[in-house]
Amino acid sequence: MASRPNKIRPVRRPILNKETSEFEPCWDILKSALTDIHNKNASRLSFENLYRASYKIVLRKKGQLLYDRVKEFEEEWFRNHVLPPIAGLVSSNLVSVALLQRPGLSAHERRETGERFLRGIRDTWEDHNMSMNMVADILMYLERSYVSEARQPSIFAATIGLFRDHILRNNLDGVSEQLDQPLVMFDLINAVILDLINMERDGDIIDRNLLRQITSMLEALYETDEEPENAKLYLTVFEPRFLAASQSFYRDECDKLLREGSASAWLRHTQRRLQEEHNRCETSLSILTTDKIAQVVEQELIVAKLNDFLAMEGTGMKSMVDNDRHEDLSILYQLVSRVDKTKHALKHILQTRVMELGLEIEQTLKSTDFSAPVAGAEVEDVGEAGEKTKAQPLSAAAQQTAAAIKWVDDVLQLKDKFDNLSRVCFNQDLVLQSAVTKSFSDFINMFHRCSEFVSLFIDDSLKRGLKGKSDEDVEAMLQKAIVLLRYLADRDMFERYYQKHLARRLLHNKSEIHTEKELVRRMKAELGNHFTTKFEGMFKDMELSKDLSENYRDHVRSLGDADIKNIDLGLHVLTTNNWPPEVMGRSANQEDGGRAECTFPPAIKRLQESFFKYYLKDRSGRVLTWVASAGTADIKCVFPKVPGKESGPLSKERRYELNVSTYGMIVLELFNGVAEGESLSFEEIQAKTNIPAHDLIRTLGSLSIPPKSRVLAKEPLSKNVKPTDRFSFNAQFASKTIKIKAPVISSASKVEDNEERKQTERKNDQTRAHVVDAAIVRIMKQRKELTHTQLTTEVIGQLAGRFKPEISMIKKRIEDLLVREYLERIEGGTAAYRYLA
Amino acid sequence: MSDSEYITLVSSDGFEFVVLREAALVSPTIKGMLRSQFSEAQTGRCTFPEISAIVLEQVVEYFHYWYRNRDKEDVPDMDIPVELCLELLMAANYFNLDAKPAVRDAV
Repeated sequence: MASRPNKIRPVRRPILNKETSEFEPCWDILKSALTDIHNKNASRLSFENLYRASYKIVLRKKGQLLYDRVKEFEEEWFRNHVLPPIAGLVSSNLVSVALLQRPGLSAHERRETGERFLRGIRDTWEDHNMSMNMVADILMYLERSYVSEARQPSIFAATIGLFRDHILRNNLDGVSEQLDQPLVMFDLINAVILDLINMERDGDIIDRNLLRQITSMLEALYETDEEPENAKLYLTVFEPRFLAASQSFYRDECDKLLREGSASAWLRHTQRRLQEEHNRCETSLSILTTDKIAQVVEQELIVAKLNDFLAMEGTGMKSMVDNDRHEDLSILYQLVSRVDKTKHALKHILQTRVMELGLEIEQTLKSTDFSAPVAGAEVEDVGEAGEKTKAQPLSAAAQQTAAAIKWVDDVLQLKDKFDNLSRVCFNQDLVLQSAVTKSFSDFINMFHRCSEFVSLFIDDSLKRGLKGKSDEDVEAMLQKAIVLLRYLADRDMFERYYQKHLARRLLHNKSEIHTEKELVRRMKAELGNHFTTKFEGMFKDMELSKDLSENYRDHVRSLGDADIKNIDLGLHVLTTNNWPPEVMGRSANQEDGGRAECTFPPAIKRLQESFFKYYLKDRSGRVLTWVASAGTADIKCVFPKVPGKESGPLSKERRYELNVSTYGMIVLELFNGVAEGESLSFEEIQAKTNIPAHDLIRTLGSLSIPPKSRVLAKEPLSKNVKPTDRFSFNAQFASKTIKIKAPVISSASKVEDNEERKQTERKNDQTRAHVVDAAIVRIMKQRKELTHTQLTTEVIGQLAGRFKPEISMIKKRIEDLLVREYLERIEGGTAAYRYLA
Repeated sequence: MSDSEYITLVSSDGFEFVVLREAALVSPTIKGMLRSQFSEAQTGRCTFPEISAIVLEQVVEYFHYWYRNRDKEDVPDMDIPVELCLELLMAANYFNLDAKPAVRDAV
């Protein structure tokens, strides 16, 4: 447009013409219109006409005059027509009910009175509000052009404010005198609203719509005509009073709930109240208040007496947890999360409860009598004869094993319980989960046999059940094992036990190798490489041995040596470091006699030599030690027909396949050379075989005591083997099955007795000492100089994954290293060390 | 109150313009006219005794111009006959088209 050659012509027809644009005629039009508007006769007025009238006044610069005239007119109208009916609304009844809180009226009457009053206020307000809106509309041009320039409150604000100044702030003289404090209409309105709200809280039905209309009125009115956004009367006057009244209401209610003494009722009540207040803000008050009133309720009903409710006897949190009252706990969690993001109270109680229940498990364990066999806790001692001997008390070792399994089961159950709580009630809350986990870890590690028990549990699960179980069951079991493992602090202890148990399982082929490998793989993922190297070494040994045995078999076949053909050799070549010393025949009990080499029968000796030769062909320089204590042998034996028996199994020649330990084989081989009817004494057998005494007792026991495998007759017949007993070939032996297994006691994993346990701990401490030494040297080599405290912290940090070293031990190791001159003290105030290369 | 989609604007010389209600509401003056209880709101017919058809036609055209382009960017200028400039300026003032919407209108 700007680029066009513009030529402005004179106005052809002036918009303003003199006669109709004088102030007074225009004002007369407007004045009569205002009266009509108040009398609700607006529909016969033309808006355009009125608008044009005010428009012209403003154009003629008479805006201020118009503004003043309108204000004057409205004030007068207000005084003459609006106020008188309002005064009639304030009845003495209303005042005494709402402000003086005098009793005497029923709730129903009180409500009626209050609502009637509010309705009157509302009607007046709505009339006034509508009229003022219309007035402001026709004076639109005045508002826009004049008022904004003159920096006055808009005509609308000025006229709507009349309501505030002349009604809400109107003194209630009579009442003020009675109460001895100045009171205005607004106080009365507030009091009535609060009274109504309290009635609704007590269960009455009130006119919510009416409340909403009154609060909208308060939201539309401001403290001053300037109408700053934060000075709505609703926010400045009503809301604080509402919150204060609610606070005292809920404080009383909280006390009442406390007296009633049911945490469960309290939870539900609080939840309902929160919802109610939320709804109230949406339907009756203003959403501006939603958060604030929620805070009040939270503060008064939840925070104020939280601990009292949680500690309630019989219904408090303890009983909720114990009785799995999931609904209660869910509500509790929701409520507490509202007020405390750290959920300190919940955390504390959960932790205490886990500790208590955990220690209870240990207590139960001590007081439970495991002499009665526990279902599913069948152990090797009972073995094949399980059905028959089930009623018999278990041996001490078996009882211990049962105890271990019960302990683990209980812990897992407890864990399941709390996992379930976390899932169902606590929304998998991380804070609570980690707190519970910590408590679990704490009580498990307070139980000094935890490492052993966990390993035993795994041992038991892998040996029994897994055959024929579905993948899910196996998976669940593996999962459980890892879960428990995660809790253990002294992992080196666990490693030691696990190694022992794993060795037994592998050598006696008690478990499925792929499950074992899977478990170890998971341990590796969980605890790192160094933890599982030995286990993996063991698996590798097993595999190599299998190949080796087969190759050797081929080798023998190709040789065609008649002597050896009769004996099939299967063997495991084990790397000393990977396997536990007990298995390797280096157990502490044998220390006295060095490595006791038992005497193998000549046939076996030849076999050994043949294999050794074969083995060294490819691997010269290696040393093989024969460990008889860990092996088994299948023997075919022939029991000749017993003379004199014409019928029954004894009348025929009987062939059996006997599965015995290597020692058992050696002993039986011995009896091949004994004439019929003769016997050997315990000492004779020991002298000839050189089997360690306690192993021999066990071996002979398995061959001469259980009825199913009694191939040797013992003199005298008793349940125990004594060094004075004599043994002979039991020609009367008969069995229903062809394959017979002589129970091998050593393959049962059992709990160590106190003596063994001390041994294990001592050994473990020795190992730890080395590990700590290594850690210190490693750290010092890198850092060169460190203070004592720094060094201690670093050592603990490095070893955290394996075990928790005691401070005293670290100190001792440092001193030892000082003596051995790996380190030296730095002279000075604080204790510090320097690494000596 | 008439809720028709269209309203009628009448000029001083008796011409009637039927306008989309929503388009006309761009003018706070017309908005005020139509929201209250006054006769215009009842009938949907607004008479402007001091505005000629020539000017009112341009005003109506602006209403629709505004309505068509209300959500668009890069709107082309509207052509305005030069000789009507002054009268249109006054009309715009009368229709409050130059003012920012008041707080009360926004509600």
